[in-house]
Amino acid sequence: MAAPTATASLNAATYSPGDQMILTVTYGDADTRPVTVTIVVTDAQGNSSAPVTVTAVIDPLALTVTDDSGCTWTRASDNGSVAVYRAVA
Amino acid sequence: MPRVTVSVRDKGGRTATATADYTIAPPVLGGYYLSGGADPTADMAGGNFRSLTQYRSFADGYIFPGYRRPWLITLGRAGVQMNMVLELKHYGAPNAGPQTFTVDGVTHTVPAPAMTIQQRPGTTWPRAYGYSQVLAGLCDGLFARALSQYRTLGFGVNIQLASELDTDHEFGTTESGVTYTWAQSDARAVQAMTYVVNWFKARQLPAGTTFSVGVGGFDRACYQRTHPEALMAKLDFLQWNAYATSPTHTALARFRRTKDWAVADLGPVALSRPVIIAEWGVRVAEVPNQAAWITTVPAAIAQLNAERGPRIARTNYFNSGWGTLSPKSTGLAALRAAYATHPYV
Repeated sequence: MAAPTATASLNAATYSPGDQMILTVTYGDADTRPVTVTIVVTDAQGNSSAPVTVTAVIDPLALTVTDDSGCTWTRASDNGSVAVYRAVA
Repeated sequence: MPRVTVSVRDKGGRTATATADYTIAPPVLGGYYLSGGADPTADMAGGNFRSLTQYRSFADGYIFPGYRRPWLITLGRAGVQMNMVLELKHYGAPNAGPQTFTVDGVTHTVPAPAMTIQQRPGTTWPRAYGYSQVLAGLCDGLFARALSQYRTLGFGVNIQLASELDTDHEFGTTESGVTYTWAQSDARAVQAMTYVVNWFKARQLPAGTTFSVGVGGFDRACYQRTHPEALMAKLDFLQWNAYATSPTHTALARFRRTKDWAVADLGPVALSRPVIIAEWGVRVAEVPNQAAWITTVPAAIAQLNAERGPRIARTNYFNSGWGTLSPKSTGLAALRAAYATHPYV
């Protein structure tokens, strides 16, 4: 199993009070794989059901964001490899 | 400095952590200057004015707080941040000759200013103490006099050396009969400014003392020449001025012009310094509705500060010359309203 990776970058180094702050997190893990399982049930007479698909993620990642100043960051988007969080300075 | 920590954890318990640090800057300080260096207390009263620009010549015997300017002490002790522009330029008082005076028991003799600046054709060229005179130590008495007075104020100030080096040098300079081009004058000024900053920093200064060098910011090459990293390492602020002198001038464009040059041309030390806008203004001849233009300034400053590059920390409206508020009451009301909004609060 591989270890995950993460980078964090802010859209500025210094903010004025009231400014919107944007945090971009890029993350991943070599093991993490989306999979789609397709199930077809077939009985002894050879009758098959319609295929049913289910999706799953192997070794899913949990992302947490904390701020030591107590500022609250809210997730604005997350596509599985890039997550964007926002907060107000 | 606040730190945001990002943690990614997989099902096997393996984690990756990344951090990003940031700072929350204090609000931008809204500031002012009143024509003639006059008492601005009444204009500032009740408004969110927290910064002030003042001009003094090193030739003047009254630099801190200035001749009959006790209000400067009152405002400074009340927390108004002072940007004191100290100039080698002689303001044209009759006594443009050598001076002998006593500072803290030591008698100093300083020669007459030997340089001319602002050599615009068809005008009378102002005199200034020459960069060679400074480097030769001939002006040390002027600095000693200023420092002695400064120590009595009771608060620290930003010392901005020169008002606008680009304006001073635009048409070349002349010292002791030798002429220098704009670029040569810039190089000489950098040496002289370095000397002056070193002179002050070698002595005990009031807490909170900071330094900057004054440049109007209208010429890109000059701005680059006057901000070498070696000098910027000794300075605490960048500085430029911003004026609207055309109906097409937006606040964002005017405040950003010099910033963009700085970001493109200056080194990391320079760009780590916040910015004092020592003067900003709207020229009523071209922009009759000064109030409307002033209203757009807070958003422009907020946008610039949200972008990469040095942060604008103070903006001082220049209610004189190009920036004269006319009618004053309307312009002042707009200024008060602007300073009551983000990013000034």
